[in-house]
Amino acid sequence: MACFERASPALKEILLRLYRDERAIDADHHLHEFGSVEYYIQSLVSDPDHTYLSISTPILSQAFLVSTRLSRYTIQKVKAISAEVVEIIEPPKEGYQLTIRLNFARMPHGKESIKIIRDIAAVQGVILSSQLEEMLMNVNSQDVAQGMYKPIKLVYHPREPFYVTKQPQKITAVFPMRFKEKTDVIIATAFFQFPQQELMDVANTKAGAKAPHCIWSPIPPPELRGEAIEDLSTNGGFVSFDITSRHIEGKRLDKTVWNLLNFYAFVKNHVKSTRGFIQRRMRTCLKRLVEVLQKTGPQDEQQIQEVKGYKRMKKLVKFTKFKIIRYRSDFTSKLKRIRSRLKIHGFNRFRRKWLTFPIFSSKTKYRKLEKDISLQHN
Amino acid sequence: MANPLRLYLTCIRNTLEAAMCLQNFPCQEVERHNKPEVELKTSPELLLNPVTICRNEAEKCLIETSINSLRISLKVKQSDELENILTKKFLRFLSMRAEAFQVLRRKPVQGYDISFLITNYHCEDMQKQKLIDFIVQFMEDIDKEISELKLSVNTRGRLVATEFLKQFI
Repeated sequence: MACFERASPALKEILLRLYRDERAIDADHHLHEFGSVEYYIQSLVSDPDHTYLSISTPILSQAFLVSTRLSRYTIQKVKAISAEVVEIIEPPKEGYQLTIRLNFARMPHGKESIKIIRDIAAVQGVILSSQLEEMLMNVNSQDVAQGMYKPIKLVYHPREPFYVTKQPQKITAVFPMRFKEKTDVIIATAFFQFPQQELMDVANTKAGAKAPHCIWSPIPPPELRGEAIEDLSTNGGFVSFDITSRHIEGKRLDKTVWNLLNFYAFVKNHVKSTRGFIQRRMRTCLKRLVEVLQKTGPQDEQQIQEVKGYKRMKKLVKFTKFKIIRYRSDFTSKLKRIRSRLKIHGFNRFRRKWLTFPIFSSKTKYRKLEKDISLQHN
Repeated sequence: MANPLRLYLTCIRNTLEAAMCLQNFPCQEVERHNKPEVELKTSPELLLNPVTICRNEAEKCLIETSINSLRISLKVKQSDELENILTKKFLRFLSMRAEAFQVLRRKPVQGYDISFLITNYHCEDMQKQKLIDFIVQFMEDIDKEISELKLSVNTRGRLVATEFLKQFI
């Protein structure tokens, strides 16, 4: 399973469009997901009330299932979506494991309809998880009695098989981890080593006690002894989950199965997002360093710019000789006019008496004695 | 900045200040050519003795000087696999964008992780002191960035692992 959402987004979108369309249309869609899942959606104008959905999904374990048909448990789970809307057609279309007829006319209105369509879009997940659920509930009962704990190889994707072994006290799920690149291996290995530490940290808490025991080992665990060598050759080691009866009780069974089926997708998503995170950080750092280097410009650049800024000086330089002489003559006449005084009779005496600056005494400065003497005389 | 790193960087700064006295010098082998002598190494009289500054075995800096060019090669510490991959990834990322730095060499000198080549033209275009500041800051930033990246990757891993295990509860 390579999608955290149970419902296939593309299938959901198509079914919603067919349901919402008021007039009947001819529809013939083939969808492929994750390389191994195929959907075929067919709607005919001649039969406007019904839409046919066929699903082909890999059988989880060829060794365990006798026929290619789906088990009664799986069929029950599919029927449980909505007995009125969903009808299983026997036999299914050639090349598909399941064909269902959807009667949109009987679909309840409002939010309920969207919920049913979402459940129909998640049928592939239901088929897959119900197979594993069934295995976990029934398998190995006779083997355990005989003392044989042979692992079952589960293949929902050709490149991502995993093993389930039932032992008296627990069920062990072992995931051989394979990655294309060395970077992925190292990021994933760093991630696998944490659950053990995390569990140890939270082991004393209630939550810690409830979580399954998780172990990562670079070599195959003893449970896989005797398996084919090509299945045991990995570059990311082996991750094992010990699932106790507590984890498969009631509603938890569904959760546990879904988590096990999604483990590969979860790890791959983590690796991918971590790579993206590293890339973003590197870009930021590159930007910062380039900015630092850009500041190392030539020394005189600022000074040169400042010199360029003296526009008045430039203008003066541009003046012709005639202009300069005329400007100079104007300037001298102006000065003369400023310097020439208007003579008012008796103004000098008035200025001496009233417009003189008062003399302030200062402790630090020298004080003329002459004035003091003149004052004494007066 | 930690004290040992400061000492290491100060030593590099001082060496660079002494070594960065470059001048224009035409090639003695090919007429009307001007090539970085530190790269060609055709005339031994134009080369100075290379200086290696080591902080430890895993972290060192090689400064090779010639009359018209200077080559600085750095080896960044890689204590574990994660650090090794982060360093390689990061320095490769920078080397691929060498044109943005002008002084960065596309391929590092053998035995080192990243190399810079500074010529007399660079010294004319840029301020010498600021160029040295850049080299030192580059080293500082790389060290800091890789440590932070490692920490962030581990923190992300821990959080994701916890979230996954929580789903079983």
